[in-house]
Amino acid sequence: MILAPQKGRALIVVGALASAFTALSFRLFDLHVLQHKELSALAQANREQVVHRQGRRGAILDVNGDLLANSLSVRIVTADGTVTGPQAGVIAEKLAPLLKVDVATLTQKLSSPSRYIRLNPRVKLDDDAVQRIRAMKLKGIYFEDQFVRSYPNGPLASHVIGFVDAEHKGVQGIEASMDEYLEGQAGYEVIERDRKGREIRALRSENLGPRDGYNVVLTIDQVIQHIAEQELEKAMARFRPQSAVIIVSRPKTGEILAMSSRPTFDPANLDASSPDARRNRCVSDVAEPGSTFKIVVCSGALNEGVVSLSDQFNCENGAFMYAGRVLHDAHPYGVLSVEEILFHSSNIGAAKVGLRLGPARLYEYIRRFGFGRKTGIALPGEVSGIAHPLSQWSGLSVTRIPMGHEIAVTPLQMIMAMNAIADGGTLMKPMVVKSVVDQDGTPVFQYQPQPVGQVIAPRTAQLMTVALRKVVSPEGTAPQAAVQNFDVAGKTGTAQKIENGQYVRKYYSSFIGYFPAANPQVSILVSLDDPTEGAYYGGSVAGPVFRAVAEKVAQYLGIEPQTQQAQVAQLS
Amino acid sequence: MRRNRKREYLRFGTVTKSFLACGCIAISGLGYVWQKNAIYRLGDDIKHREAALSSAQKRNAMLAAQLAHWQSPAELESRCQQYGLNLVAPKESQVVRLYEPGKEWDLQMANAPLPARPQTWPPSRNMQAKALARR
Repeated sequence: MILAPQKGRALIVVGALASAFTALSFRLFDLHVLQHKELSALAQANREQVVHRQGRRGAILDVNGDLLANSLSVRIVTADGTVTGPQAGVIAEKLAPLLKVDVATLTQKLSSPSRYIRLNPRVKLDDDAVQRIRAMKLKGIYFEDQFVRSYPNGPLASHVIGFVDAEHKGVQGIEASMDEYLEGQAGYEVIERDRKGREIRALRSENLGPRDGYNVVLTIDQVIQHIAEQELEKAMARFRPQSAVIIVSRPKTGEILAMSSRPTFDPANLDASSPDARRNRCVSDVAEPGSTFKIVVCSGALNEGVVSLSDQFNCENGAFMYAGRVLHDAHPYGVLSVEEILFHSSNIGAAKVGLRLGPARLYEYIRRFGFGRKTGIALPGEVSGIAHPLSQWSGLSVTRIPMGHEIAVTPLQMIMAMNAIADGGTLMKPMVVKSVVDQDGTPVFQYQPQPVGQVIAPRTAQLMTVALRKVVSPEGTAPQAAVQNFDVAGKTGTAQKIENGQYVRKYYSSFIGYFPAANPQVSILVSLDDPTEGAYYGGSVAGPVFRAVAEKVAQYLGIEPQTQQAQVAQLS
Repeated sequence: MRRNRKREYLRFGTVTKSFLACGCIAISGLGYVWQKNAIYRLGDDIKHREAALSSAQKRNAMLAAQLAHWQSPAELESRCQQYGLNLVAPKESQVVRLYEPGKEWDLQMANAPLPARPQTWPPSRNMQAKALARR
């Protein structure tokens, strides 16, 4: 039998329990029904995470597939400044030796209020260092994988290859011009993590993997590039010029086999170089070409039929008065044929050939040879040079331009013009990129040699080659450029520099040549800006450098010496 | 009464069906759990293989860069000097060039009649057996 007080207590307990369960039920209803949308989104956001993955940047390869640049994945250490701030000094002391930074700098970084601080953006951490840092169990210190650009050959071909910025974007050279192909495509994954933060792979809902960038194959041959750079270094040490360039190319295709400038830089250590050293002088620097430009006026005059190689001009014994100004030759000459004008490099002779050709036709040939406009090479920073329009020419221009004054050209324009003569009068577009291939080596784009136009007739080109072969003969201006067993055709240039609008006693010494003259395989341009020790004539300064490069390149490429060719011809 | 009692006996078929139904449900449940486990296990496998692939790719890139460095002309030259190998490029007089027949020769060969086949072509089984015996 239940007593009244007991019944009352029981009712209170039952009532309390009922109220509690009602409250709980309501709360459950509230959480599961009324707030379902917001809370389920919140729960999903806690579990799910969108992870962005960066595609690897493509590699840059030389013509033989040797690696010139690629991207390496390295582990970097990051910090959350809001966590590390209070203990910045202690953490910095532990990490500084492993990250190879000084403690003060690291303390300053760790004290920053930023939630994302990169502690070693430049230092590559090895696995041992990563394990040691992990073992320290430092709060607010994390690891992250990041790509860094690697240049295994150091400064070799650095002006062609270029470099990337901290964001892995191309800034200069092929890295910049082919950035859209080299750059990989980022991908993303929507993942779920367990309570320990590990991904539950089975619950990955979206998976769009990153695409690695394409590889770019250059026409550059790293061995020829090395030969060119080695000889350039020797020339820098011997003649101490302000700068120097060498370009090696194939006249028939316009392929650039080597392109080197001094001063140079190491793309992996940009801080150690000045912006001046990073400039590719082959495409971005212009200068008056000097006597090498005589090939343009003589080609034009021969092509128009206004002169023949044997036509003679009075070279006025070294002083020619025209339009009230006296034009001088380096050595006094009497009567010279056009051929002799070329191999003796007579300014007066070239001026008289220019006068016979006339300003309009001279200007036409300047344009035909590609001066005053960009060559279109796949390298950034190329300039057009300066070729004033005919309307801006003075009365003297027609006598000054034939000897390479009043005009400014890039070394690349000059070698392409010489290539046109070597290749039977066809001007080619310079090629530095051979193909773009995917990661498996399957070609995506294949670049073909591109003729710009027929500048002069093949017969004219042959006549020019006949004359240019004598430049390296003992009576020419560059006997030191002669290569044993090979017939070389070329032209020297010794241009006075202009400073503050005045010609000064400083020179651009250059030599451009090709060989074998009868069937050109290789053309080489050597140019030194202001050689300060020893000679300054193009033949004496650039000529020996040309020969040294040519001998090694001929051996490397297996170009058949002409003596053997002649023997075979006799046998057949 | 008897008839009613008889009806209270459990029928074998009913029991079997019940067991089968319970068994099916249990197997379905266990199968579901097993499959879920398999999915998670395979997911983990995929994750580990992805990590291994990524790690191999990283290592490959690293080794490629290292190889390229070792094969670079500058490095090879410095090693030659370091080990005193005295390697030099051959002189032109030391090079023997072998000349391939020219295009005309190729055309002649292309148009030339093919050499006659042996009379017994393809070789008979007996000939094959004899050849084997000779060996």
